Amino acid sequence: MTDTIIFILAGAFATATPLLLAAIGEAVVEKTGVMNLSVEGMMAFAAAVAFGVTHQTGDIVLGFGLAVLASTALSLVFSVLVLGFSANQIVSGLAVGILGLGLSGLAGRHFENLTMIGPGNQSVPVLSDIPLLGPILFQQSVITYLAFAAAFLTWWFLGRTRQGRILKVVGEDPAIAHNLGFAVVRIRLFAIIFGAVMSGIAGAYASTILTPGWSDGLIAGRGWIAVALVVFGTWRPLRIAFGAYLFGALLLGDLAVQAMGFRIPSQIMTSLPYVMTIVVLAAVSRNALLIRLNAPVSLGQNYRPSK
Amino acid sequence: MFKIVRAPLIGAALALSWAGALHAQDPLEISILAPNAIGDVGWDHEIYRGKEVLEKRFGDKVKVAVVDSVGEGPNATRAMNRLVANGTDVLILGGFGHMSDGLTLAKRSPDLKVLHIGGYQNLPNFATFTVRHYQASYLCGMAAGYATQNGQLGVVAAFPLPEVLGILNAYVLGAQSVNPDLKPVKVVWLNAWYDPPRDRAAAESLISQGSDVVYSLFPGTPSAVATAEEKGVYAVTTLSDNSAHAPTKHLCAGQADFGVVYGNVVQSVFDENFEGKDTFAGVTEGAMQVAGLSKDLTDEQRAAIMAKQEEMRAGTFEPFTGPVTNNTGSEAIAAEKVLSSAEIKSMDFLVDGIDAQLNK
Repeated sequence: MTDTIIFILAGAFATATPLLLAAIGEAVVEKTGVMNLSVEGMMAFAAAVAFGVTHQTGDIVLGFGLAVLASTALSLVFSVLVLGFSANQIVSGLAVGILGLGLSGLAGRHFENLTMIGPGNQSVPVLSDIPLLGPILFQQSVITYLAFAAAFLTWWFLGRTRQGRILKVVGEDPAIAHNLGFAVVRIRLFAIIFGAVMSGIAGAYASTILTPGWSDGLIAGRGWIAVALVVFGTWRPLRIAFGAYLFGALLLGDLAVQAMGFRIPSQIMTSLPYVMTIVVLAAVSRNALLIRLNAPVSLGQNYRPSK
Repeated sequence: MFKIVRAPLIGAALALSWAGALHAQDPLEISILAPNAIGDVGWDHEIYRGKEVLEKRFGDKVKVAVVDSVGEGPNATRAMNRLVANGTDVLILGGFGHMSDGLTLAKRSPDLKVLHIGGYQNLPNFATFTVRHYQASYLCGMAAGYATQNGQLGVVAAFPLPEVLGILNAYVLGAQSVNPDLKPVKVVWLNAWYDPPRDRAAAESLISQGSDVVYSLFPGTPSAVATAEEKGVYAVTTLSDNSAHAPTKHLCAGQADFGVVYGNVVQSVFDENFEGKDTFAGVTEGAMQVAGLSKDLTDEQRAAIMAKQEEMRAGTFEPFTGPVTNNTGSEAIAAEKVLSSAEIKSMDFLVDGIDAQLNK
């Protein structure tokens, strides 16, 4: 029983990691008023590149590096469309996302269904020996620590720093930000690249550490869950982290409860995370003020500074 | 504009079809549709491997093309229509979702012969086939019964569908036949054909609760097998030999061979006696066998498994022979009764010794 609880609580961190990384990246992008719906495609392309490179060279750092470059390249295409040509953000995001999924199939063609042994988890000395808490909190992958650190840093950056406030002003009203002398387009570009880097790390983590292997469709909707988590967490990094962890625990709880042999129909357990998403989204939406306070006003609107 | 272009095109088409008629020994054009990308193990890999079997068996008499990653939606429909328009004589459909559009196509093109893997509807020019996975599953169950140290088997299974239940039941019956001390078998339903991260998490979850043999039943990927290797427990799988993904811990795989069935159907096209019937091919036909048996099994154990396989080939042994009790305590198969193919395909119970329930 204790083993199962540890399995769920510890495993949820690992399952939550790619969701959290991608959602934090997307939250920052959306905070500048840009909606980038290509997260799924960026994650998939990065995952394929990361697995291919790591499998061929054995160098996981190189795999992550090239994966980040791959997702960034995709986001630059998106940036040219949206920031350069003021194309519709939703359509551009979907198109670039589909491009990313296609490229992932192409890049991963020679690695289809291959697996490898992942790098394993890192135990924090001393702390990981604490009963119960040790295995849950201190025997995770480096990327998992990084993901939760990124949530805290983003929270601090957006709420506590001057640059963070400038970024939010751009998302609230790009015209005012422009008149105040801020480079709206450049700030949006940096945010989009940041989002791509996070999606890239998320994808690379999924194919080299979470499930060390590649097959077409590996990301299986996790990019979309990340986009939903941003709304779920009302654009606030710490809420997003909580949501990602909750989702991870529910995804695993389904499997663990079945393995324990509880007589609950498996279909109900499998649908639980999605039911929970609907319930929480409904609960969040009831509080209209919360959304109005946190949602970037100019979300989805392009802005071209007039000279 | 159109008229100018069309006339030569029609001329060319006529010339081509005429040339075709003159060439009596044109190869038979066979097109195979695979729903997903081709990997080195699994469903689409096996679909693809059938191509090589056909080429080896018929040589220049056939021209085989495989179109992969078409999915099971409109893309697949477009691909199959295109292939037929381009002169495919025999169409082999690898996705369950290819059924209805394949049927429409077969109705529209009476000269076309279609072979659908896993479907259940037939037309005079639309045949189906399924492989008796459960037979090899019984044999792998024996291997699991021999190999387990603590008697705890775990299964990661796709959907609780009749075919999957049959494979699972045969596995447990096989394990029980050689090991009387099994604990109730744990099952995790993924309720998905394809979700590698959950595949892996399900295997981890079973291992964390003591399973020392993990059966990956119709996985989309080898991730459950690779997880077993990583955690040092035995892996059993369906469809393909997964030894490459678990070099030290691969216990047993049910190796399917679609090519044998493809070949028989293509032969029937050459012999002009193609029938739109359903084939349920197993060990006897050479469409199913055990593969990748672990070196950790003793020679006697391996010999016992192979002997059982020979009994299946000869038709003297069937896994689903009564008496069998289901896991709610009532009789599932009466004494002396052997389940028919139709009964196996519509299985709706779990045998005694499986710690899971079905909702009906």
